[in-house]
Amino acid sequence: MKARQNISGSRKILSALGEVVLAVLTLLPLGNLSPNTIRLLFVTLVWVTVSVAWNLVGGFGGQISFGFAVFYGLGAYTAALAINGGINPVLSFVLAALVAMVASLLVGLPTFRLRGPYFAIATIGVSEAVRVLMTNFSLTGGASGYRIMEKGVFRQLDHYYAALILALLAVTVSIYIRRSGFGLALVAIREDEDAASDLGVNPFRAKLLAHAIAAALTGTAGGVYARYAAFIHPQGVFAFNIGVAILLMPIIGGVGTIWGPVIGAVVYGFVNEELVASFPQLHLLLYGTLLVLIVLFEPEGVVGLFRKGYPLLARIRRAHAVHS
Amino acid sequence: MPSILKVDCVTKNFAGLAALRQVTFDIEEGRVCGLIGPNGAGKTTLLSIIAGSVLPSSGSVIFRGKRIESGKSYQAVRAGIVRTHQIPRPFRSLSVLANVELGIHFGRSSNRDDSSNEAMEILEWVGIAHLAPAAASTLSVGNLKRMELARALATKPSLLLCDEVCSGLTESETASVLGLLRGIQKTGTTILYVEHNLKAIMSLCNPVVVMNHGQKLVEGSPEEVQSHPLVIEAYIGKKAA
Amino acid sequence: MNAADLMNLVISAFLLAGVYAAMSVGMTIIYGVMKIVNLAHAGFLMLGAYFVYELYERFGIDPLLGVVLAFPTFFLLGMTVHWLLVRRIPTSDQPTLPSLLLLFGLWLILQNLAYLIWGNSDRSILTPRTLSVFHLGRITFPMVQLVVFGAAVASLTGLEFVLHKTWFGKAVRALMQNSEAGKIVGVKVERTARVSFGVGIAFAGAAGGLLAMMYSFSPDFGGLFLLRAFVIIVLGGLESFTGIAIGALILALVETFSILILPANYQPAIAFSLLVVALVVLPQGVAGLWSRRRRLA
Repeated sequence: MKARQNISGSRKILSALGEVVLAVLTLLPLGNLSPNTIRLLFVTLVWVTVSVAWNLVGGFGGQISFGFAVFYGLGAYTAALAINGGINPVLSFVLAALVAMVASLLVGLPTFRLRGPYFAIATIGVSEAVRVLMTNFSLTGGASGYRIMEKGVFRQLDHYYAALILALLAVTVSIYIRRSGFGLALVAIREDEDAASDLGVNPFRAKLLAHAIAAALTGTAGGVYARYAAFIHPQGVFAFNIGVAILLMPIIGGVGTIWGPVIGAVVYGFVNEELVASFPQLHLLLYGTLLVLIVLFEPEGVVGLFRKGYPLLARIRRAHAVHS
Repeated sequence: MPSILKVDCVTKNFAGLAALRQVTFDIEEGRVCGLIGPNGAGKTTLLSIIAGSVLPSSGSVIFRGKRIESGKSYQAVRAGIVRTHQIPRPFRSLSVLANVELGIHFGRSSNRDDSSNEAMEILEWVGIAHLAPAAASTLSVGNLKRMELARALATKPSLLLCDEVCSGLTESETASVLGLLRGIQKTGTTILYVEHNLKAIMSLCNPVVVMNHGQKLVEGSPEEVQSHPLVIEAYIGKKAA
Repeated sequence: MNAADLMNLVISAFLLAGVYAAMSVGMTIIYGVMKIVNLAHAGFLMLGAYFVYELYERFGIDPLLGVVLAFPTFFLLGMTVHWLLVRRIPTSDQPTLPSLLLLFGLWLILQNLAYLIWGNSDRSILTPRTLSVFHLGRITFPMVQLVVFGAAVASLTGLEFVLHKTWFGKAVRALMQNSEAGKIVGVKVERTARVSFGVGIAFAGAAGGLLAMMYSFSPDFGGLFLLRAFVIIVLGGLESFTGIAIGALILALVETFSILILPANYQPAIAFSLLVVALVVLPQGVAGLWSRRRRLA
């Protein structure tokens, strides 16, 4: 019983924190923030969306995909093409989501028959194959990239709020799924796919559905980013590093939880931006070491540390109350 | 009563080994049919085929007049057949309540919106309502078996396949579980009960099917089966000449 | 295309297959004994390449000798990695996620270390042998390929010998077939696992050195070959050594002949597509097809 109390206690703190952060995020940019800070927040919000999205499939469902860069990149290119074609940005984002969803079906249909690491390896293959194809695809500029020419003035806050709304949507979807029967099915599949089937769950369909939702969110995030950056290239959006980052974030924060991916995205977003500035050659080392440490010592990531630390904090507080 | 399940000439081969050889029998609706036999007789294989998770090499399984071999157990659940596992397979990171709710959401229950109340009712009936919020990983074997039953019942089956529900339980736990099974039968659910505990089978089941070496040996009432020479030979061996 | 060209392509494919096979052996041993998918294999291939390169550039040691020296060096390295990291994670008779992520993290670390030490630019090993060419009638192919093929065959033969003629080899084969039974019979699992991991890494390092004799390399060198190793192992059935030979041959043939239809930039996509196809259509590899036929008989 005690452990459960701690979890619900820490959950209350986390969600209260979440509401405070949300208020801050919404109002902050209206104050006097440097464009650089807003850019940092923007990029972090994009990462939050992607991280939460991946977690639907990889965290809840337990299917570790190395290939989400495909959806991010396809979303980016779709939105870019659409915007250049004169289509309204919001509609372009919707198109990006749709294309990513279709791609998720094409990827999922063959690969979800595989289990565990075989699925993971297959996603590496798919991801790299798509990258090679897009690098050679001249319609979109191939390796030299593709430029978006959007009419109108560049308003940084437009992009910021787009990213914020999307991130909110992603987190809401995540909470909703986790609390629904579908979320139960995903966790059951993660633990024991055959036993889940024995209770009426269609694992293949559930995985495809989670994958499609995750891809749609990821593709939209790619589109939002592309519109902001105004220039995208295959090495940037389809790179294996992106695929790695996408799965690293939820693992750092706490894979399979609701807030873990958010925390992981924030950590990654801030650290990445700072690192890229000062030590561009060290990020693989950092992420590799983080992965190793997390696997060896705290598989539940930051959320795990928090859950273990909460009873300690409570005890300290109680001890303090007794003595004062 | 009409037959709800017909096992027709089911054969199953695994890498050259014949696990089941042309097994045929019927189950009348509303009965508790026992399935016994020495280890390796093929009982669990047959159960898995009826439950839909394994495909037969030949032969068919007919449920309410329709062939249902699919290799996909969720299809059997949709049709109304569900199984419990010999070694319980709980979803460890979910609570006991959530384990049962899964059955409600994906079985044939019409109460999906009120899943937690319905799940509580089932847990009460099975006797572990007090464990509802506990993580499934903390349960004892006896309670895990009850949770297996509860989960299966949540899918509102017409045919319940019980795989050694009483193995590993004490006498009083066994009696209690048998009482549960009787109660399930009273609600009209048909039960196919695989078990090693002969006393349990004989007190509860009619008819009883005896298997050995992948084949059906004998089928009949408990009394007929107990005194049948082939059955005695299968369990104890041939009488010394 | 005339007969000589065709022969040329076929022989090239064969030679390539030899190298590919040697490259995949390391992963197979580790997977077979410990059920761990070693993503860091790519990192050790890369380190092997740099190891042989440094020995040549600094001390003038012939790359072939470098490859021989790589065996014991990487063996020790592999055992150290196992002792430091791998033994601390749970393993079962199915590949586990923590092992996948741990070794992936290790690969990232190795890549970055290499980048810090050697930078991002391509390196290659150029010896007189690199440019010389071998003639067989009207067929020509680079001497390097032949040498590398020979070395690959030699090391695989050595492995076969160890596996079938030594106690350690028997222990490894026992664990590969049934780890529970192996424990009962007295195989010391952790020690055998550690030695197996060492052997697997030894082969990775040596294979990396062999590859370095044929291709230029940089810190992210391993990735492409890692995927090729997957394809080969999956095609070959994940646990059989003859399977590796077959898988390597299939991949090498497909790659070599695809040049006739596809432009060179698309080449990497072949391995990847073949991988997905192999995983989905032949989950037990080509060897699985055979055993299935035997089963129905």
